[in-house]
Amino acid sequence: MNTFMEKLENVLMPVADKLNNNRYLSALRNGFMVALPLIIFGSIFVVIANLPFLDELIGEEAFATYQDALGPASAATLSIMGLFVILGIGYKMVEQREGESIYGAVVALGAFLILTPQVVDEVGGVIPTSALGAEGMFLGIFTAFIAAELYQHFVNRKLTIKMPAGVPSAVARSFSALIPITLTLAIFLLVRIIFSYTPFETVQNFIYTIVQEPLTALGSGLPATIVAVLLIQVFWFFGLHGQIIINSVLDPIWFALNDQNYQAFQAGEELPNIVTKPFIDTFIVGIGGSGMTLAVLIAIFIVAKSRQMRELGKLGIGSGVFNVNEPVIFGLPIIMNPLVIIPWLLAPVVVAIVTYFCMSIGFVPRTTGVVVPWTTPALLSGYLATGNNIMGGVMQLINMAIVFVIWLPFLKIMDNQYYENERTAK
Amino acid sequence: MKRILLACSAGMSTSLLVSKMEEEAKERGIDTKIWAVAQDKATEEMKEADVLLLGPQMRFMKKKLEGPAQEQGIPLDVIDPVSYGRINGKAVLDKALELIGD
Repeated sequence: MNTFMEKLENVLMPVADKLNNNRYLSALRNGFMVALPLIIFGSIFVVIANLPFLDELIGEEAFATYQDALGPASAATLSIMGLFVILGIGYKMVEQREGESIYGAVVALGAFLILTPQVVDEVGGVIPTSALGAEGMFLGIFTAFIAAELYQHFVNRKLTIKMPAGVPSAVARSFSALIPITLTLAIFLLVRIIFSYTPFETVQNFIYTIVQEPLTALGSGLPATIVAVLLIQVFWFFGLHGQIIINSVLDPIWFALNDQNYQAFQAGEELPNIVTKPFIDTFIVGIGGSGMTLAVLIAIFIVAKSRQMRELGKLGIGSGVFNVNEPVIFGLPIIMNPLVIIPWLLAPVVVAIVTYFCMSIGFVPRTTGVVVPWTTPALLSGYLATGNNIMGGVMQLINMAIVFVIWLPFLKIMDNQYYENERTAK
Repeated sequence: MKRILLACSAGMSTSLLVSKMEEEAKERGIDTKIWAVAQDKATEEMKEADVLLLGPQMRFMKKKLEGPAQEQGIPLDVIDPVSYGRINGKAVLDKALELIGD
């Protein structure tokens, strides 16, 4: 068993290292981090704008006015989150190369806008907000990568204007970016022109059709979700941060799916996707952290006899409520523990399938596009993610029960072992 | 003053350790500054630190951070998983002080 585990770890460590330390993926992850406060701001106001029973309380007309007044909060942030992600990626890409990161941000944004259609129904001078949200997400990500790389490449090639000594440094800096940005944006303009002669007409349309649609279609399905969830669990089993590693690849897909739901929710249409960012964060991870260990802690409080487990319960519960569960993962321990590998891998997969099923038959509403911070305690997070619906909390309760039942026999075996050890030690 | 920096994915789970380590340092009467940051802030924050310790779940960051740590001339290590799981402030403080030396 041990040599097998060592071998597996020798495979996983380089993967973790590559995925986490890859320049593009790390800029992508940090780019989303930059956008996150705005996404959450928008989410808060979606929640407030859709408070339950308010329409009955103040009347439909007043409720419509109320919603209109709050609308811009999410329309200016959550709806067009792609824009903020692009700025973040461009900034972080150039920052990594120790260039002037603010120019990375603006050149990424500029390049993206050049590629974005600026006509809606033959009305010129407008940019469809949908292009800045879900639909433009992948184009934005690729554009930000390429634009920032090109910019920094031109800077490194010293294609800048040298100012004579005596020119204030701020002035000199503004000129130093001139040629690299001009060259970079010119390339993107050329790309736009070339694409206008293809059947796709716009680059946006091309990326959407060739890359984004197939990837999100794949990511929205149950099989891919199960694979992702399993991979996260496997990484954690070896004590490696599964989300950090896997999410850097899947976040763009999960956020794009989430944004489609948000657009539909705002338009009052049927929500298209079951799997979204909050589906993963709220119903599979957000019940005490990876592996939904809040249910494990509850099981410990109910059945554990050994001092070691009871101590762990006390140690883990405070942070566990807020979905931080390293004490459980390293303390139970879960890592490299052959006894827990079955419940550790099985429970999240069963939960994913059950949640998927419950949402597909409409027993529980789908997520509305609200992004709930991952530290939000369970029950509340489920309620918020499903559009202020109590059934979201009920789903989390069901999931906790599933985890509880799957874990219980294994916990008992472990607890007995600890208990025996403690007795013989005395 | 001993300046001890901890880093993990979001600086959340290491911050559990921070309070335990501070308690321990206070008991021993050692003047310390102990704080936890998210991984992407580690390179920047280590300029203010005498030692950098990583959460074991982020041990794959060690390779990437080794260069900057060497430049700063500060030691860098991964916290042992058992001490991490038990939020053992004493053991981790010992480790940090040992790495700082003197």
